[in-house]
Amino acid sequence: MLSFNASDGTNTKTRVAVVAAGIVSPLGFGLQDTLGSLRKATDCVSPVSRFDVSRCRCKTAAQIPDDRLIRSGQKGRKKARLHRASHMMIAALAELFEVDSSFQPEVTIIGTTSGGMSYGEDYYRAVQQHANLRRSPEWIANYPPQKPVLDAQHEFGISAPCFVIANACASGTNAIGRAFECVRSGKYNRVLTGGYDAISELVFVGFDSLQAATPEKCRPFDRDRTGMVLGEGAAVLALENFESAVKRRATILGEIVGYGISTDNHHLTQPDPSGTGPKRAMEQALRSAGYVAGQVDYINAHGTATPFNDAAEGKAISELFGEVPVSSTKSMIGHSLGAAGAIEAVICLLALQSQFLPPNINFRAPDSGFPLNIVANESRDSKIETALSNSFGFGGTNASVLLRKVAA
Amino acid sequence: MSPGIAGMGWVTPLGRGVEEVWNRLTREDEATAQIVSGQEGTKSYQAFLVPDDTLKNLPPHPRLRRASAISRFAAAAGLDAIAQAKAINLNIDPEKLGLVFAASNGGVAYTKRFYHDIVRSGAQSASPLLFPETVFNAPASHLAAILGVNGASYTVVGDGAVGILAIKMASELLETGTVDHCLVVAAEEADWILCDAYHKWRLVKSSPPVEPFCDPPHGTILSEGAGAVLLGDEGKVKVAAINAGGNFSHQRKAFQIVEQIVQGLGQNADIVASANGTFVDLAERDAIKKVAAESLVYSPKPALGESVGAGALWQVIIAAHALEKKRFPPLLHFDRKAGLRFPTGAEEVRPEVIVSSCGLNQQAAGLRLSH
Repeated sequence: MLSFNASDGTNTKTRVAVVAAGIVSPLGFGLQDTLGSLRKATDCVSPVSRFDVSRCRCKTAAQIPDDRLIRSGQKGRKKARLHRASHMMIAALAELFEVDSSFQPEVTIIGTTSGGMSYGEDYYRAVQQHANLRRSPEWIANYPPQKPVLDAQHEFGISAPCFVIANACASGTNAIGRAFECVRSGKYNRVLTGGYDAISELVFVGFDSLQAATPEKCRPFDRDRTGMVLGEGAAVLALENFESAVKRRATILGEIVGYGISTDNHHLTQPDPSGTGPKRAMEQALRSAGYVAGQVDYINAHGTATPFNDAAEGKAISELFGEVPVSSTKSMIGHSLGAAGAIEAVICLLALQSQFLPPNINFRAPDSGFPLNIVANESRDSKIETALSNSFGFGGTNASVLLRKVAA
Repeated sequence: MSPGIAGMGWVTPLGRGVEEVWNRLTREDEATAQIVSGQEGTKSYQAFLVPDDTLKNLPPHPRLRRASAISRFAAAAGLDAIAQAKAINLNIDPEKLGLVFAASNGGVAYTKRFYHDIVRSGAQSASPLLFPETVFNAPASHLAAILGVNGASYTVVGDGAVGILAIKMASELLETGTVDHCLVVAAEEADWILCDAYHKWRLVKSSPPVEPFCDPPHGTILSEGAGAVLLGDEGKVKVAAINAGGNFSHQRKAFQIVEQIVQGLGQNADIVASANGTFVDLAERDAIKKVAAESLVYSPKPALGESVGAGALWQVIIAAHALEKKRFPPLLHFDRKAGLRFPTGAEEVRPEVIVSSCGLNQQAAGLRLSH
C-alpha cells in the first residue's frame, strides 16, 4: 500500500484518487458548464413549473430542464418510462465514462432521499381520482430509490452491487465517505459513488410546511436569511486506489483524504444549536486525513440558509476553522438533498483544479452570531490545496469529506 | 474477520422475540391474514400484520410518541437485540456502536397520509408533523436517539436484498475499526397502497397461502415487522461470508445472479431462501438445483409473508437460530414437484447455512453463516 505523509506524518493509509466525475445540475450539464456557471455566480433559481405551488409559501426552485435532460440517445419506449432521476443519473454517468471509459467499479454507493418520488405521486393521485391506471406498473417499477442507479448501471453495462444510502440531506456525502472508506481500507480498488435527487411535489410541500423553504432569495449565512430553496441533480465520482490509477495512467482529478460522520440526537429535524454534531463530523474528517484545521483552504458548507442550520454550522466552522473562506453553493443551485453532497464534492474538485473559490450569492450582511469569511456574491481566484465539503440532514446525520488537489 | 451475531430481535405477524416466533414456526403456525382496506370503493387486500399488543412494552421514549409503525417496529427489534446481548453480559459502548438500518418502502403510511392531505385539500394543509417521519432514515434517527448512538448511522434502501447489503456494510464498519459493535435493523410496514401497488405489479395474490416454489408462481402476501442483529466479535454464529451479489435487468435473468451467489458462498450448506410465491422462487429453485441440489431449503415466507425490506433480516435470524437448534422449522405449502429438499422439521441442519435473498426489484445478494 502506498503511504503519504500529511503534516503530522502519521497517515499511512491507502490513498484514494478521483479519476473521473460527471454532473448534471441547474448549473449545467457537465463539468465545463458547471465551472462556467460557478465562475459567473449564476443564480439558477426560477419559478416552479412541474407542479402547482400556488398554495405554498415558497414558489421557486432550481430545476433542470427536461429537454436537455432526456438526451436524444436516451429516447425510445423503454427509456421514456424511466424517471427523470434515472435520466439524471444516466447523463452524469455518461460524462464520467467520457472521462474514463475503462473505469469498472467493484461496487456502487449512491445517496438519495426520495428516489422516483414523483412517480409515487402520479400513482397515488391516479388512485385517489379513480383515473386511468394504465401507466401504474411503470410508475411502481420505477419508483424505488435503487432504480435510477440500476438504470444508469444497466445503460453502461455495470453489474456491480449497489448500495443506496438514504441518510436524508447528508446522503451524497455519506455515500462518498463510505466509498472513500472502502477504497482506503484496501478492500476495494474502484468504487463508483455519488448522489441524485429529482424535485417532487411531496418533498417540496414538505419543506414548505416546515417553513424551511423561503419565499425570498436563498441567502446562506446572511443575517437576514429566511430559508432554503430546493434543487435537483446528480453527480457521480469514480474513486480508485491512487497507486492503481497512477499505474494505468488515469487522469486524477483530485484526491479524497478524509471523511467524518456523526449523529446528532437533538431532534429529528433540527440540529443541536451548539453545533456539536457538525463539529464532530468535521473534526473526524480532519482526523481521518491526518490534517489540522489550518490546512483547510476552503469549505463548501451545507449552508441551507435556514436559521437553525446556518447558526449551528456557522458556529462549528468559526470555532474550528476561524477565517477559512466559506461558501454555500446552494445559494445558486438550491438544495438538491441526496444529490447535494455529491454535487458539492464535484464543485470542490473544480475549485481545486481551477484554483478559485465558488461564490455564496445573495449575501448581504454577516450574522454576528458566527463570524465567517464568506465568499460573498462573486467567485474569487485563490490558491487552494484542500477543500472540505459538509452535508447535514434530517435525523441528525452529519457528514464531511475532505478533498485535496493533486500536483500536476 | 468474521463478525459474530451477539444478539437478535424479531418483530413479526407471529409475535415478537426470537424464541416466541421460532416456537410458532416449528409448530407450523402461520400468520393470519387481515383485510387491508383503502378508501371507500377500492379493492381490499390481505396482508400479515403485526398484532397491536406486540409493541406494548416499548419504552416511553419521547421519540416514539408520534413515530410511525416502521419506526416502532425497528425500535422494538433493535432494543431486543441489544437486550439479548446485554443478557450475556456483553458490554456495548454507545460511542463505539454503529447503526445500519435497512428498508425498502420506508414510512409509507405517513407518506401516504401526508400526500393525501395535499391531493385532497391542497399544499396549505400539509402537516409539518408528518413530513419528517416520511424520510427513510427517520427510524434510524429514533433508534440512534434511544440508544445514544452518535457516530456512524446509515440507512440503506433497496429491495428485499437490502438486508444483506446492510450486514455487508456493518461488517465493513467493524472490519475497519470504525465501530466495535454494529446493530443492523431492517423494518417494513404494510399498507393498502403497497398492497395495491404490488398487486398492480402482479406480485401479490388475493389471499394466503403463500406457496413457495410453485411453477407458475401464484403470488405473495405482504407483511410487516422488523428484524435486528447485533454484530461484533462475540456470538457463536458467525457471518462467514457475504456476497453483495449484483443486479438483474429482467426477472428471467435473476436465476444467473442467484446461481453465482449460491455457488460463490459454497455448496456444502443448507439454505434459507427468499422464495415468496413470485418469480423469485423459480430463480432460486433453478439455481439451487444446479449448484446446491443436496441442500435443505427453507423459506419463512409462507408463515410470515413478504416483508420486503425486512425479509432478508428475518431469513438471517432463522438461519442463525437454525444453526443453534440444528433444525429448520417445517416448510409450509411447498410444491412437491419443485425437486428440492425441503425440511419437515426432522432433518439436521449442516453447520453452515446460506441466506439467499433475491429481491423483487432487480437486486440479489446472499451470505453464509457458520456455527
